Amino acid sequence: MSYFWLLLALFCIVWYSIMTFYVGVRGFFDIKEMLLALKSDETSPVEEE
Amino acid sequence: MLTHFTFLDAGIVGLYLLLTIIAGLAVRKYVGKVEHYLVAGREMNLYLGIASLAATEFGIVTCMYTAQNGFKMGFAGSTPGILQTIAMLVVGITGFCIKPLRDAGVMTIPELFEKRFGPTIRWLAGVVIVLGGLLNMGVFLRTGGEFLLLTAGFDPQAFAQSYHLEIMMTILLVIVALYTVLGGMLSVLVTDFLQFIIMSLSMLVITVLIFVKIGWTPLVEAVQKHHGAAGFNPFLMERGWEFVLFNLCLQFAVVLTWQAVIQRILSAKSTKTGKQIYMHTSFFFTARFLIPGLWGIAALATLTPEQIGENTLYAMPKFLSTFLPTGLMGILIAGMLAADMSTDSAYMLTWGGVIYNDILAPFRRNKQWSEKKGVLINRFIVGCIGMFLLFYGLWYPLKGNLWDYLGVTGTIYLSSMSVLLIACCYWKDANNWGAMGSIILGALFPIGFLVLQQLPATAEWAQHVGPYKSGIASYLASGTAMIIGSLLKKFLVKKKEPSY
Repeated sequence: MSYFWLLLALFCIVWYSIMTFYVGVRGFFDIKEMLLALKSDETSPVEEE
Repeated sequence: MLTHFTFLDAGIVGLYLLLTIIAGLAVRKYVGKVEHYLVAGREMNLYLGIASLAATEFGIVTCMYTAQNGFKMGFAGSTPGILQTIAMLVVGITGFCIKPLRDAGVMTIPELFEKRFGPTIRWLAGVVIVLGGLLNMGVFLRTGGEFLLLTAGFDPQAFAQSYHLEIMMTILLVIVALYTVLGGMLSVLVTDFLQFIIMSLSMLVITVLIFVKIGWTPLVEAVQKHHGAAGFNPFLMERGWEFVLFNLCLQFAVVLTWQAVIQRILSAKSTKTGKQIYMHTSFFFTARFLIPGLWGIAALATLTPEQIGENTLYAMPKFLSTFLPTGLMGILIAGMLAADMSTDSAYMLTWGGVIYNDILAPFRRNKQWSEKKGVLINRFIVGCIGMFLLFYGLWYPLKGNLWDYLGVTGTIYLSSMSVLLIACCYWKDANNWGAMGSIILGALFPIGFLVLQQLPATAEWAQHVGPYKSGIASYLASGTAMIIGSLLKKFLVKKKEPSY
C-alpha cells in the first residue's frame, strides 16, 4: 500500500509543478483580457442615485 | 525552540505583502457595478479560474488540518482529497447541477432557489449558508495567526499571556480587508493569481526538500510505527467506514454547493469554462491534502512527543520552524500568507455576497438600490464579516480535529443545499415544503452536535456519537425531508398560482 502513496505523492509533485508553470503563464493573459473587457463595458461607470 | 526566521526572511515576506496590496488595490477602479464586485462581471477565463479556485481552497487552515490529518491518521488522512478529486471530476465532466446553475445566470445558489421554491426559501437558504459558512470560517484567522507565530519561533504557551496572537490576527485581517472591501471579486481574482504562484512554489520546494533531506522510507516507517496498516488504508481506521462515507457525502456537497467554490463557476465566462475549471482543478484537491499531509508525517517522523506537546495541530509548524533553512523560511511564510490571504478574502466576499444578494433581498424588493449604493453596502458587509472573524476566532474554543470541526460546520448548510440544488434541477415534484423540511433537518444535526460537544454534561456522549455519524445523519435526514415534504404538499394542497 505504501507504493500507492509513493506514486501518488510523486505524481502530485510533477503534476503540480507543470500546472503552476502553465497556469502562471496563461493566467496572466486571462487577467489582461478580463480587465480589457471590463474597461470596454459601456455600463461600467457607477450610476448616480 | 530554535527557529531559522531571520531578517532576510522578513524582507521576502514584506516584499510579497507590498506586491499583493498594490495588485489588489490597482484593480478597484474597474468596480462599477454589484455584478463586477461579486462575480467580476462574469469575465473570468479558464486559467485565472483554476488559479483562483486553487488559491481560494488552500489557506493556512487547510495546511494545518491536512497536516494534522497526516500526523494523526498517516497517509489515510489524505482520503478526503482523493474523494474530492473524484467528485469534482465527475461533476466537471457531466455538468451535474453546475450547468443549470450557471445557465440560470444567478449570482448565488439561493437566487436560483427562489425561481423554484419561492422567496422564503431563498431567504432561509441564505441564512443557513451564511451561518454555516461564518462558523466554518470563524477559526481561519486564529489558525493562520497560530501558524505564523509558531513558524516564526514563538512559544505556544506565550500566546495566552501576551497579545502576539491578537496582533498577528489583526494585521492579517487589515491587509486582506483593505483590498477585498475596495476591489471585491476583481481584487480577489488578481491577488489569487499572484498568491497561487507564490503558494505553489513554496509548497513544491518544501515537499521536495522533505524527500531529499528526510527521505521516503522514514516517513513510511513512522506511519507504520504509530498507525499500523490503518495509516495506509482508511477502511482499517477506527470508524473508517464512517469517515469515508461522511467525507464522500461532504465532498460531493462541497463541489456542488460550497459558495466559495461555486462562485468561480458563476464568475466564469461561460458554462463550458466553468466545467473546464472543475475538470482541470480536480487533481489539485488530492495535492492539497497529500502535500501538507506529508509535512505532518514528516513531523511525526522527526519530532519527539515532548517537542510536539499536547496539541497535534502545532506539530507541522513546529517541524517546519526548525527544518527549513534561512531564506526558505521566508518563502514558506510568504507562501502561506499568500494561501491564507487568498482564502480569507474570497470567503469574506462569498458570504458577504450571500448576505447582500439573498438575506437583504426582501429589503430591495420594493425599491431597487442603485449600483453605487449596492457596492457600498457590499463593502460594509465585508468589513463587518472581518470584525466577526476577529472576535469569533479569539473566543471559540476548538475541540477535537480541525477537519472534523470544518466538516461539521460546513454540513449545517451543505447537506440541505446539495439536496435542494439536485431537487431544484432534476425533480419536477420538488416544492417549498420539502425544501423547508430539508433545510431545518439538515442544520439540526450538526448544530446539535456542536452544542452537545461544548456542554460538559453531554460532551462524552457527543464524543461517543462522533462527528461522522451526525454528519451522515444530516445528509440522510435532509434528503428524506425533501422527498416526504414535497410529496405531502403534492397530495394535501390544491394547486394554486403561483405554486412553489
